[in-house]
Amino acid sequence: METKTVGVIGAGTMGAGIALVCGRKGHHVKLLDANQAVLDKAQSYLQSILSKDVEKGKINEQQKTDTLERMKLVSDMEQLADCDIVIEAVPERLDLKKTIFGELSRICKSDALLLTNTSSISITEIAGGLPHPERILGFHFFNPAPVMPLVEVIRGKKSSEDNVEQAYRFAEQLGKVPVLVTDTPGFIVNRIARPYYNEALRILGDNVAKVEQIDRIMKQAGGFKMGPFELQDMIGIDINFATTQSVYSDFFHEGRFKPSRIQQRMVQAGSLGRKTGEGFYDYSK
Amino acid sequence: MTTANKAVLLTGDSPLYAELHHLLIDRGYTVLSFEDATSAPQTVSLAVEVNSLNLEAKKQQLCDLDQLLAADVPIITTSLAITATEAASWTEHPERVCGFGTLVPLAERELIEIAPALQTEEPAIAAAVSLFRSLDKETEIVVDEVGLVFPRILSLIINEAAFALMEKAATPQDIDTAMKKGTNYPYGPLEWADRIGLDEIYAISRGLQRDFAEERYRTAPLLRKLVLAKRVGVRSGQGFYHYGSKEECEK
Ligand SMILES: NC(=O)c1ccc[n+]([C@@H]2O[C@H](COP(=O)([O-])OP(=O)(O)OC[C@H]3O[C@@H](n4cnc5c(N)ncnc54)[C@H](O)[C@@H]3O)[C@@H](O)[C@H]2O)c1
Repeated sequence: METKTVGVIGAGTMGAGIALVCGRKGHHVKLLDANQAVLDKAQSYLQSILSKDVEKGKINEQQKTDTLERMKLVSDMEQLADCDIVIEAVPERLDLKKTIFGELSRICKSDALLLTNTSSISITEIAGGLPHPERILGFHFFNPAPVMPLVEVIRGKKSSEDNVEQAYRFAEQLGKVPVLVTDTPGFIVNRIARPYYNEALRILGDNVAKVEQIDRIMKQAGGFKMGPFELQDMIGIDINFATTQSVYSDFFHEGRFKPSRIQQRMVQAGSLGRKTGEGFYDYSK
Repeated sequence: MTTANKAVLLTGDSPLYAELHHLLIDRGYTVLSFEDATSAPQTVSLAVEVNSLNLEAKKQQLCDLDQLLAADVPIITTSLAITATEAASWTEHPERVCGFGTLVPLAERELIEIAPALQTEEPAIAAAVSLFRSLDKETEIVVDEVGLVFPRILSLIINEAAFALMEKAATPQDIDTAMKKGTNYPYGPLEWADRIGLDEIYAISRGLQRDFAEERYRTAPLLRKLVLAKRVGVRSGQGFYHYGSKEECEK
């Protein structure tokens, strides 16, 4: 397998995990963040995960040292000039992403693949107006990136076939399972999973069944691993609500995606799920 | 529970028919068709009616059962495509009609939902609960709406997958892979639909649309067309996938 130099922008939840995935497969990685504290945290995260890999016998001490050696933490975009591939994982804001891709278009080689890990922003919109939009693609990992096997490879309106194929092969080389999707709101997973949450909320709102009942039914009748309410509590009700709102608005308010008032009230009340100790269930006890 | 002399009258043409028939016999019930029962209706302790797609047939069969059986014999009916309340309203003894809903394959269902109609009285609910308990299923009683909980939510997921496929957002294989690998679904929605029967999923979707009259429940045109073309899934050799050659069957 060809070793590449991969830049990862944003060393938060997703970026640090994505960098680890790339580093483990032998690539040279440059992990960049605007915040030094985040970089320090990412460094200790990488060290601790790779140390666990050694304990588990997955790699030896030398391989750990080599992997860390290949992974550089950087804070200046200019340092990404020699990257073959850059994966952007900064917060979900169009203005931030547009600025970063503008910079990358200037800094990187003209044939470097520029990928965004966005969960909901249109790839076409991110690439719009930039030189070489044919090499800007979506490359959507799932959280936690080192564990979840899927990568959605998203074809923007101007992405070239050649680059789509390259990104697809790169995902396979990372040991992931890639799927190809056109630039549609929510891509595949976040779109098709909407009814799992939304219809459960509707059923709750119409008093057809209670939270515990719906969770139990979806697990024991449906064979799902987690019920829709337990899952919202785990994901964060605010995050889940924001995803629904974004898909709803990007489909120009198609009724199938209409968000739930129950969910909105929970967000307004600050009952966001496990992270606040209370959501559809109480975690304070 | 001994079920030796219990005769269950089973009628209907949903994919549930064959599986329920098999399971009832396996648990020691005598299963009668409507014709079998006409000569000795007094042997029937319970009737189960499972039509989803053809509502005319559902109405006819429920009325026939209502005429044939003594007024205290419970009639359990699928409330997948219409509410149990509407089904019960067709009969002269609506208090003995109780809704339920599940999807094949029954071997994968640990739990079955029961939805009493507004008119249902206690004995019919108890009969539904004990029937499914005797088939080793747990039960959950929910309020009567089209599609209950699991069939309703799953049919909407499948409907959304059908929209995405119609738009060519991704291939059927990629849609199924994404839902299994990106969010841990037990099956991809399209392969799942092919195993359940697209006719059954369509019946639920159409019922939701009819009862709620909201854009939210709009059926994907592709789903409807596949059913009209009798491509209902594994059962008919073709649905979202082809099941013609061996490799494809193993998908
Ligand atoms: N968290 C998830 O479950 C998840 C899953 C899939 C995709 N995503 C997507 O991944 C992206 C990142 O999400 P996250 O959860 O990792 O966010 P995060 O907040 O954990 O991390 C983002 C990081 O980007 C850094 N950053 C901000 N502006 C920057 C800039 N201009 N230059 C360099 N670094 C900058 C921040 O300091 C932060 O460390 C988003 O687009 C999100 O939609 C998230």
